[in-house]
Amino acid sequence: MATASELSPTRTELIRLRRREALAKTGHDLLEEKMDALVMELFSVLRRMQELRASAFDQLERAHRALSSCFAAMGTQETVQAARETVKSVELEVSTRNLMGIVLPVIERPSAVRNALGRGYSMHGTSALLDRAALEFEKALELLVPLAVAEAEAFAIAEELESTKRRVNALEYILIPRLREAIKFIMMRLDEIERENFSRLKRIKKIMEEREWTRSA
Amino acid sequence: MDPERLIEKELARLNAHLPRAQISLAEALRSERPGVETRDGTFHSFGRDELSLLSRLLEEGMWGELRLPIIIWMSRGMGSGAAVIRGKPEVRVISALLGRPAEGSELVIYRPEVAVIRSRLPTTTQYAFTR
Amino acid sequence: MRLKVAVIGDRSTVTGMSLAGVQIAHVHSDRESTMDRLRELVSSGDVGLIVITHRVAEELGEELRSLMRSKGVFPVLVRIPDSTGYLPKRDELSERLRRVVGAEIKVTG
Repeated sequence: MATASELSPTRTELIRLRRREALAKTGHDLLEEKMDALVMELFSVLRRMQELRASAFDQLERAHRALSSCFAAMGTQETVQAARETVKSVELEVSTRNLMGIVLPVIERPSAVRNALGRGYSMHGTSALLDRAALEFEKALELLVPLAVAEAEAFAIAEELESTKRRVNALEYILIPRLREAIKFIMMRLDEIERENFSRLKRIKKIMEEREWTRSA
Repeated sequence: MDPERLIEKELARLNAHLPRAQISLAEALRSERPGVETRDGTFHSFGRDELSLLSRLLEEGMWGELRLPIIIWMSRGMGSGAAVIRGKPEVRVISALLGRPAEGSELVIYRPEVAVIRSRLPTTTQYAFTR
Repeated sequence: MRLKVAVIGDRSTVTGMSLAGVQIAHVHSDRESTMDRLRELVSSGDVGLIVITHRVAEELGEELRSLMRSKGVFPVLVRIPDSTGYLPKRDELSERLRRVVGAEIKVTG
């Protein structure tokens, strides 16, 4: 940004600066609108996140209780062994989406719930409590995926909100005031110049009138 | 910081998710994979539960006229947090969602209402920013 | 694109998640090996979700946070309570939200 002393106080410069000021204001308003929209999105995501957290964590608690029962009935080692034998079939279908310039993850809700026969551990020597524990964890996993997405969205939106706010502030507290200062300075100088010209013209006119007067006298 | 470039760049970023073309609710309901292609070349899918909600909020005769995604126009100079919905079927559907009487082809909505719309119809509505 | 799920935590959590069909499992013992595993998972490009317990995440602290900042959109991370139900008093998301919104937003659960 040019300092006051470097500005050439011309009308062209004034017009240029006024245009930049108008653009800066448009940019500022646009970013404020974006902030509004981001805040609305954030609240919407947060609401979803709270609900998902509550149900996912509830379900996890249930799952852990079922697992404890299983540990107690079957024994820890046997349970861990069954977990090893389980078919690891969980797959996530992922993609991304774009929201106001932010890239967000998209994950389809997985169908993790299976029936006992489909899991892969041997039915012989394992307890129904094992099936129960597996089921509860499968249900938990199904809830954790949308929760993870909601949290990632909340984070990304909050970050974008912060950086947008910084830019709004830079425009509002630095750029626009500087432009206004520069405009004021130029207008003042242009005014001065005009007054100087005006008084010079008046003097010239007076001299010419005196000459006329002496000539005709 | 050049304000002109800032604005152009920001607008491009903000609106990159907008579709190249919209499709009607009728088309979306018929489609195997309902959605639109966005300006930045990706595919944006519509949630089936949202399409079903929309079909319940609007009479069948207008399904061919409702264009998706519904655009939420971020309106400048209307005070902070106000936005506009345009188009008769769009106004009908959004008014129904908000429990407001539907009138005309332009509807001004306010921040809390936008939040409600975005919560219920996250993939079938989108923000658009203009100069 | 199809990606995998990984779980990091105590034995119970890992066992439970493996029963549910999660492919990648890591029982946490020390910071270094867990961080190494995490770095592997992040750079592998075929992990979509990492499920990690709050307890372990807290222990990993800033290293984990900086790894998360440096990664792309995937893998997504989710922190969960372990069998003790442990939840930290404040987490990063609440902190960030508070800064941004300028008021306390309680993220319960």
